Amino acid sequence: MANEFLEPITEQTFYLNMGPQHPSTHGVLRLFLKLDGEYIVEADPVIGYGHRGHEKMAESHLYEQFLPNSSRMDYLAGLIFNHGYVAAIEKMAGIEVPPRAEYIRVICAELNRISSHLLWFGTYVMDLGGFTPFLYSFDDRENILDILDRVSGSRLTYSYCRFGGVARDVDDEFITATHQFVERLRSRWDDYHNLVTKNVIFIHRAKDVGVINRELALRFGCTGPILRAAGVPYDVRKAEPYSVYSELDFEIPTGTKGDALDRYLVRVQEMEQSLHIIEQALERLPDGAIKAAVPHKVRPPRGDYYFAVESARGAVGFYIVSDGTSYPYRLKARVPSYGNLQVLTEVLPGTLVADTISILGSIDIVVPEVDR
Amino acid sequence: MGMIKDIVEGGWSLIAGMWVTIRRIYRPVVTVQYPRECLDMSPAYRGHIEFEQFPETGSHNCVACGTCMRFCPTNVIKVQGEKTHTHSEKRASLYFIDFSHCSLCGLCVVNCPTQTLKFSGEYELAHYSRWDGVIDLIQRLEESA
Repeated sequence: MANEFLEPITEQTFYLNMGPQHPSTHGVLRLFLKLDGEYIVEADPVIGYGHRGHEKMAESHLYEQFLPNSSRMDYLAGLIFNHGYVAAIEKMAGIEVPPRAEYIRVICAELNRISSHLLWFGTYVMDLGGFTPFLYSFDDRENILDILDRVSGSRLTYSYCRFGGVARDVDDEFITATHQFVERLRSRWDDYHNLVTKNVIFIHRAKDVGVINRELALRFGCTGPILRAAGVPYDVRKAEPYSVYSELDFEIPTGTKGDALDRYLVRVQEMEQSLHIIEQALERLPDGAIKAAVPHKVRPPRGDYYFAVESARGAVGFYIVSDGTSYPYRLKARVPSYGNLQVLTEVLPGTLVADTISILGSIDIVVPEVDR
Repeated sequence: MGMIKDIVEGGWSLIAGMWVTIRRIYRPVVTVQYPRECLDMSPAYRGHIEFEQFPETGSHNCVACGTCMRFCPTNVIKVQGEKTHTHSEKRASLYFIDFSHCSLCGLCVVNCPTQTLKFSGEYELAHYSRWDGVIDLIQRLEESA
């Protein structure tokens, strides 16, 4: 669409650094853009400004000691990363998790997914110039943080999951607060749709912008809402069910075209599905222990293991090589944002600089997760 | 004709969005005017660690075994113990934490064999010097008692 206006008036192109300190990159990401006027000719995302060496750090830490690191990779969906790491170790060491703990983990992980999507919703619309929806979504997100604060004692980097269970049991107040939150968020969808989804300015900025079609998404290893917006119904929760997701009933929302509007709609529908999962899990929440008996230092048997979970941005995998000691020999985290970010090199050329913000926002990257 | 339809529909969508905002004006205010008003912290809230005071002894039960020190991912804790006489149990004589490195993971609290560690409810922990983050837990317990 944008290409038809692109006439070679001049051969002169110039380079522009977007970032590393730019309000709409949501972290220290540098986009190296080659521009012809307002149009992008080449785009190169430069990463690594937030590299902390989490994978290397794991090699010198006990399995238990790496736990707080896992939620600091993706700070917006920390509990899901926590769950993924803990479940990987449980698979390695053959630890049975009590069913109550599994349900609590699922409830908290889905709450965390909604909070991540709500934050994305607010910041994406703010990048496009609408400030009001940001305040609304943060108001709702605040509710989730209060609920999770009650059980985990932390608002962002929850080290809530433990090997063999969770750190703290939930009480009746948590259950009623979660029920209230589910009702509250359901009553807010109309406001969100009136404010954003039906808004003519938003539709013009998101429709047919940054099309990531099926082939492109598969070629770059995109997962999560980007892949689903391109029409591929892949979700780790359905494809390789972990925890108690196989017992719960939910759908995978998909898009058709794979443009920014599709990605937006997929995420909004996912929030509704997460509410559905939370309701079912709360209903079935069994009584019993919240933590299995686990030795102080876990020593998984020799071998290599892989475990994947679905975070708010896509498939998260932990590949861990054990040499039989209480330290991992090697830990590799497969994070979704890395693949999702690389697709920019193909999507950005030919678009306007103004659309870059929309495309980058709709991909929903968390830069510390890319850099690790 | 199509353009007029677009303008009417687009204009209506903007009015509908504005209506959401206007209705909001008449909702109750939820903002809390911190620091003049404070919210209660949740019971699970994690501040820095402190000693639990046991009613039987009126003091902590730290035996300076050093489990917390060894489990801490960032070497926050320094603990030393001494025996008062030859056959007595070891007790902590020094217990320092450097809160500026702490990630509040709770491994020390979980692994403490005598359950003498707990999270405090402290949340106003910004400080000017890096030494302000060093907290003497034994002194803290004596002051609170």
